[in-house]
Amino acid sequence: MSEPINANPEVMDASALPTRLEKNSKTTSNVLNLLPTSIAPISLFRFGSSIGWDDLNIDKMNISSSPAPSLVYDNADSDMESVNSSSPESEYEPIDSQEIYDLIATISDPEHPLSLGQLSVVNLPHIQVIDSGNPDEMAEVLVEITPTITHCSLATLIGLGLRVRLERCLPSRYRITIKVRAGTHQSEIQVNKQLNDKERVAAACENEQLLGVISNMLATCK
Amino acid sequence: MPKLKLETPTKLKSGFFHLDPSFTLEELLLIEEYDRKTTLVGHQDRVWVATAHPTLPLLATCSGDKTVRIYSLASTNFPLITVLNDSHKRSIRSIAWKPTGDLPSIALGSFDSSVSVWGQENSDEPSSEWSFLATIEGHENEVKSVAWSSNGYFLATCSRDKSIWVWEADEMNEEFECLSVLQDHTQDVKHVIWHPIEELFASASYDDTIRLWKEEDDDWACVAVLDGHKSTVWSTDFEKLSSELKQAYQNNENPIHARLVSGSDDLTCRVWKRVNIIGGSASGNIPSTFRSDPVSEEWIEDSVLPAAHTRTIYSVSWSGLSGRIASTGADGKIVIYKEENRPENTSEWVIEKYIERSHGVHEVNCVTWVTKGEEEYVISAGDDSLVNIWRV
Repeated sequence: MSEPINANPEVMDASALPTRLEKNSKTTSNVLNLLPTSIAPISLFRFGSSIGWDDLNIDKMNISSSPAPSLVYDNADSDMESVNSSSPESEYEPIDSQEIYDLIATISDPEHPLSLGQLSVVNLPHIQVIDSGNPDEMAEVLVEITPTITHCSLATLIGLGLRVRLERCLPSRYRITIKVRAGTHQSEIQVNKQLNDKERVAAACENEQLLGVISNMLATCK
Repeated sequence: MPKLKLETPTKLKSGFFHLDPSFTLEELLLIEEYDRKTTLVGHQDRVWVATAHPTLPLLATCSGDKTVRIYSLASTNFPLITVLNDSHKRSIRSIAWKPTGDLPSIALGSFDSSVSVWGQENSDEPSSEWSFLATIEGHENEVKSVAWSSNGYFLATCSRDKSIWVWEADEMNEEFECLSVLQDHTQDVKHVIWHPIEELFASASYDDTIRLWKEEDDDWACVAVLDGHKSTVWSTDFEKLSSELKQAYQNNENPIHARLVSGSDDLTCRVWKRVNIIGGSASGNIPSTFRSDPVSEEWIEDSVLPAAHTRTIYSVSWSGLSGRIASTGADGKIVIYKEENRPENTSEWVIEKYIERSHGVHEVNCVTWVTKGEEEYVISAGDDSLVNIWRV
């Protein structure tokens, strides 16, 4: 407990991350401005024994939660939709891994003013999409996350944030699977099971405190 | 370059069947006849469960929209009878009809950690006057399933708090006394269901096991653990009674034969079979030296149903009329299996038919058999907030 194992996680420059989104947007520079000059030690709760999001004592954590969960959706979404509708030449428009990456890489870490892309928690090569583009068929998205430390008790919270983001943005034909990458978390099986249990996720999404934390994580999304 | 299609959840939820909240019962009933399918529209969020009353022509459905809708199965247009509103603060995850009583009543289990009981007020048929009868509290968090024993004496409830509570109900559904809190499961308990006649129930869990429970010396005890699934068991259902078995129970015999089907996140459905009952008041051919032993039952895995699902199996149901089994899950498929006799008193389960994408591209949370005379229906409940009734 005394020695943080990963007090200095490797941080990528946001402008160096792969993206199809327009660079130099206001949000990017805001995120960069928030970068601390030296990385603060990862607080102790990341080393706790709890695994699930239900066991997290959010009040005692160094993470911020909106008092009233915001269920307002990104304004950017409607912009992208209008761009999309102006190019009707192709009947089927499958989604690729870069688009998934752009949706989730800008999610904020629950306790750092850094994005999951910058912390390499989400990585483009670890996203798989199986999609015919046919709106009448189911499609699959698999995202494997890499926690910054192997006993990160926030892994389930981060995974839940990813799932909420993707469920809000993707059409309902997408079946979303979120896992921690093999060998990157000591409770890999338990974390994966909770992240992909529909009933646990549905109940978590009715928990205002958890939703508040997730709203903050998603506030930096473009 | 492919562009991302974005849909807001508002669109996903209401879509083409948006309903005015200031509804009347007639307006709410929009029925679409399509092939062999009838669709019940009205819920405004995913439908978790659809279940028919064991003796009356009533269908109830519960949803993430925190309401329960009750339909009549007496006529082919399945008219809406009533909507139970303002019952719970969060999703209603589970519902169960009480099999007994002069008037129909139903238990609701919610993510708000409480259970409530509602009943029809008077004997007009069908009556839209339903009233709240009782709240049952005790679970620490989300209630995932509720189930009545066939004689209506007991209500079992289970939760993410890893416990199962057995309640004794009075005839008026006003007093519920907790008889037992069962904490043998090591993880969330997903589902409970009672044997069609015995005071025996099965629980399915996130700990990958199924447990069977019986009353013993005024308490309830685990009499068997069914190990075999490799991931969460979401649902189980008992085989309904054949006429021979009904006769045996009427003659006060204790038949050993009982079977249970289970559906799991490991993508398999398994059929389990009871092969022995040990101790307690079990059959007379057990040596008396064993009789003081605690009751236990020996269950074996009888068969694994042919593989058919590509994603988590959420629900299984065993038909009382044809003996067929139906399963459904996250892949949106409804699969119907039938048992074929083989030489030397053996049998084999085969897939009889599929319904692909039974709720479009959406997941299906529940499948249940309904019998109307000699006709059988399968009713499914989906994430598209719809309930489909299939002639199969």
